[in-house]
Amino acid sequence: MAGDCWVIAAGERRLGAMVSAARQLGGGVRVAAVGPQSLAETAAAAGPDAVAWVETARDVPAEAYAAALGRALAAAGPRMVLAAPTPQGRALAGAAAAALGAAVIPGVLHLSFDGGTVVTDRMDLSGRVVETIESAPPVAGLFAGEDIALSAAAVSAPIERLDLGDPAGIRIEKAEPVSGAHAGLADAERIVAVGRGLKAAADLPLVQGLATALGAEVGCSMPIADDFGWVSKERYIGRSGQHVSPRLYLAIGISGAPQHLDGVRDAKVVVAVNADPDAPIFRRADYGIVGDLYEVIPALVAALDA
Amino acid sequence: MKVVVAYKWARDPEDAAVRGDGSVDWRGAKMAAGEDDPAAVAVACSVASAGGRDLVGLTIGDGDTSWALARGVGHAVAVPDAPSLADEAATAALLVAAVGWIGEVDVVVIGDADGYPGVPAVLAGLLGWPALLGVSTATVEGGRLLATRRAGDLDETVSLDLPAVLGVAAASAEKRAPGMKEILAARKRPVEAVPLSALGVSLPGRLVSRGTRVPDAAPARIFGGDPADAARQLVAALRADGVL
Repeated sequence: MAGDCWVIAAGERRLGAMVSAARQLGGGVRVAAVGPQSLAETAAAAGPDAVAWVETARDVPAEAYAAALGRALAAAGPRMVLAAPTPQGRALAGAAAAALGAAVIPGVLHLSFDGGTVVTDRMDLSGRVVETIESAPPVAGLFAGEDIALSAAAVSAPIERLDLGDPAGIRIEKAEPVSGAHAGLADAERIVAVGRGLKAAADLPLVQGLATALGAEVGCSMPIADDFGWVSKERYIGRSGQHVSPRLYLAIGISGAPQHLDGVRDAKVVVAVNADPDAPIFRRADYGIVGDLYEVIPALVAALDA
Repeated sequence: MKVVVAYKWARDPEDAAVRGDGSVDWRGAKMAAGEDDPAAVAVACSVASAGGRDLVGLTIGDGDTSWALARGVGHAVAVPDAPSLADEAATAALLVAAVGWIGEVDVVVIGDADGYPGVPAVLAGLLGWPALLGVSTATVEGGRLLATRRAGDLDETVSLDLPAVLGVAAASAEKRAPGMKEILAARKRPVEAVPLSALGVSLPGRLVSRGTRVPDAAPARIFGGDPADAARQLVAALRADGVL
């Protein structure tokens, strides 16, 4: 129906939260799922009114359907399209925005519809401010809200196949699990990560001692992994490294740059230790200690033993 | 045919100051090289040389052209009177118009900036070209692009027909800044300044801001005092809250 909000899903991340946010606009909510059948089914259980499913072959990435999906969405006359800010989600949302002649709003947190205008609360400046923006529909949004657990919907929405014709010429030639066993970081319940605050490779045992006391894996931020090669690259946590989802994440001597925080988006509890009280990591953290890590780490090990 | 690399097309969000009342002060913020710009130029150089194409740098506003010229770009185009725009789709439209003005372009490479996640994708959408984002490396093989990137837990190698847009995400900080020799050579390379009016692009103001505020999110519980005390309090809080 015209005036619906369409959630574009190329993966399951934040699907439930996006459907929930889309409901705030007051119109119908539909999901365009681009991927395997399991994705369409997860989408159907997330609570929309309907799912339009574009099935992709194994070697065809969602991006290959971006232009065609954009045209199909433009024909549907949506009030808004919403996607997760993953590389695939953004590629699809960008093509939709172009087809719709829509403005793009990243960092979407909350939505409402007020007198014919889409009103969006969005996060900006790495979370330092929230901005309220008005726009005439249609609008394309990239969602930055917290993920929510999908409870089993009473009724799964109907799934209808959407035939977009042949995909554009993009093919996945090879897909390999990230090299190395990555030390179980992806599944770790607890992680101690270290950054530039650590002054020398010789100091790593200090961090390892804390990790052992917590039963945690050790990770690091990009500057350490790459510039100094101290901790193997498989332990680098960030946008182009590991994406982790531990219950407890300790960021030691890590400033909290956006590309690092991108890898920690799904951590439940973040504890930051940093000598700089203005370090951006404290905006993301749930708990923190401002102090010298060379003093704080031994103190934490002692407190844990007590 | 040409490869265009777009760089320094946005202000660094870290240069914006947030005042106590939640308003934002961008004074003094210039178009800066995002952390992905060096990687984007490196990928563009690789694609241009493998594909036998000229490499043109594109920047807007007060972005400085010598930055890319010193990093291997053959000639630079700037749109100095381009405004800084709140709507990422409008920024993309501006870049697309400039690509059109340059002409005979079949690859656009741009930094896949965390602070501006919409620009590369809308740029591709407006060109009507496929986009691959989060790219680490790229080259040309058999008349097609071959790119690598991280997708979730997988390292993917992806091939694309031309024309295409590549959004490059830096996997590391710039390894080697240009030396004096490259900086001097940069001064001899051609720079064209194009007025916005020559691009014939309309930049609608579709977004109206009602203002900014400091977020309400619960701040971190910070423990102070001497390290031993702070550590004890932190551990106690984590245990009390069921985290430990």
